[in-house]
Amino acid sequence: MVSTAYKYTQKNCDRATFTLFTGLCKGCGLCMEKCPVKCLEWSNDLGVYGTPTIIPKDVESCTGCGMCQLVCPDCAIVIEKIKK
Amino acid sequence: MALAPNMPKAWRAETKPHKFCPGCGHGLVLKAVGECIDELGIQDRIVFGCDIGCSLLSWDFFNTDAIQTHHGRTTPVLTGVKRARPDRICIAYMGDGGGYAIGSQHLVNAASRNEKVTVILVNNCNYGMTGGQMAPTTLPGMKTETSPYGRDVEATGNPTQGPEMVSAITPEGAYVARGTTANLRQLKKMIKKALETQLNGTGFSFVEALSACPTNWRTNAKDTWNFVEKEMTQYFKVGELKVPGEKEGK
Repeated sequence: MVSTAYKYTQKNCDRATFTLFTGLCKGCGLCMEKCPVKCLEWSNDLGVYGTPTIIPKDVESCTGCGMCQLVCPDCAIVIEKIKK
Repeated sequence: MALAPNMPKAWRAETKPHKFCPGCGHGLVLKAVGECIDELGIQDRIVFGCDIGCSLLSWDFFNTDAIQTHHGRTTPVLTGVKRARPDRICIAYMGDGGGYAIGSQHLVNAASRNEKVTVILVNNCNYGMTGGQMAPTTLPGMKTETSPYGRDVEATGNPTQGPEMVSAITPEGAYVARGTTANLRQLKKMIKKALETQLNGTGFSFVEALSACPTNWRTNAKDTWNFVEKEMTQYFKVGELKVPGEKEGK
């Protein structure tokens, strides 16, 4: 197995841990439109094509539904729900 | 421990990020295919065939055997593989140009012979790799490079409805469905049923996936989803057209 490590940024929201792999994100924005609570915005970190990537606006609004992870064509998002 | 992205196990991680444009629907369809391969545990038996067009960029996408064929000839090549090695699971992956334009004769004949292969066809309403020319699936009135005033159905005919055509000619035992990248859970179920149809050996399985091409449609993310969810589904109805073991007209 060849191990491949990608660069990533993380944000700890209230209900989920949001991980974005900047080494995979191409900045297409499909996740922003599909987010049911519209909690994603463009971030200052650049993706693999030099385009802006995404980050949750604040720590409260993300519900951890995982829709952005589902619709990402590049598997650049991982949502880990925090169990209460 | 380094955090790993949540990719299907069948994906070849060294070739990621993949070669498709930002926002391309191919990544979503191939993610669904990869998850189905993982769930069925058939990665070592897969022969993955890709066509010419944007779909050929998937040639090193999976950790499986792959073959890249001439334009439109993916279905007959994989039919041959299946006949020579019946234990293999053959997936023909193509775009709408390869399936409905140059390769339609092969698709129609393989379907009418009820070959035991799975065809996954990605429909994005244009020829993506060559710059967005008009394809057989371009919607009426849609503007492309070669139809700058919108597609004129009087002169060029109506868009091809592939699953309807295939379900009309396949005998009982085949699986025919149309999914969309806007509903990935449903698309994944369809692809899984198609692969199970081949595993059971009951007949031809065909899944068309409605997909996005933001580069050639010149749309932003919002308009891309709008086009896939609203405009394409008006003409291309999503659903299962033929399921093995179910009577037709249900």
